[in-house]
Amino acid sequence: MTTAELQGAELPAPGRGRREAGMPTPLVGMLLFIASEVMFFGGLFAAYFNSRAAHAGAWHPPEGGELDLPLAAVLTAILVSSSFTMQFGVAAIRRGDQRGLRLWVGLTLILGVLFLLGQLYDYSRLGFGIGDGIFGTTFYTLTGFHGAHVFGGAVGMTVILSRALQGQFSAGNHVAVEAVSIYWHFVDVVWIALFTTIYILR
Amino acid sequence: MNDATVGYFLIGIAILFVLGLVFALSSRQGRLQQARATPPPGVHLPSGSFLPVLLAVGAALLGAGFAFRPAGMIANLFLAIPGLLVVVGSIFAWVRAANREWREIERAGHDGPGGH
Repeated sequence: MTTAELQGAELPAPGRGRREAGMPTPLVGMLLFIASEVMFFGGLFAAYFNSRAAHAGAWHPPEGGELDLPLAAVLTAILVSSSFTMQFGVAAIRRGDQRGLRLWVGLTLILGVLFLLGQLYDYSRLGFGIGDGIFGTTFYTLTGFHGAHVFGGAVGMTVILSRALQGQFSAGNHVAVEAVSIYWHFVDVVWIALFTTIYILR
Repeated sequence: MNDATVGYFLIGIAILFVLGLVFALSSRQGRLQQARATPPPGVHLPSGSFLPVLLAVGAALLGAGFAFRPAGMIANLFLAIPGLLVVVGSIFAWVRAANREWREIERAGHDGPGGH
């Protein structure tokens, strides 16, 4: 295209199309936030592996304590299931199905709370605390921070459920649902990595 | 039931309480917003505020309270308690300031695109 053609070309009106083009700003914000969270958990995983390498041969729960693999596996199944239910909720509101959104988000919230309560139950039966050696410290730091993130997701899910019950979402207006679902999937993926690292690769 | 179990039980209760509170508050907020479903038209930028800095200082105090704790204690209370108070106070003040700004815009309008 020549300069003359460019000068003659019709320019879009200022401000037009800015909302329609590209990704909605809240989703960009959520993705940037998740990028920072990846760095955060990356640091925690680095601390875990570094501590484990420095204490090779003695990397096990303190005396009298034992990790409960079956319970952790059940909690993993609960959290992974909640990712599916969340995605069913997103699919429902994309179709404009508000009842489906309420149902699936409510179920996701219940599963998330079940995971948190299950984790607290697990903590109460472990037999060691955060101050009991390097294993206890890294275990509680990693799983505790993850639990805090699940709690944050549950708070977001509660707000979504409350707004959904008031019919504030539609097929064309549900960015908040998408943003919370992305966060929830991220929390789920982090738990899968944690479960694999702490409970499987022992 | 030992002390740790009781503590985790209380944390569980606290989690459910906070989620219930969030649900109640967001439901109330949603009802209030029924009358103002869309934000005021135009572009609005928030005014300058020292509250984010204050919140960061409070969070740093709170973190220092947990990091530099005396032996046998969960935190250094001389750092953690003021830090917690500053954090909670800053959040409340920030929410109030945001609500006040919203009301002022609704009442007085603003300068249109690019205005604030």
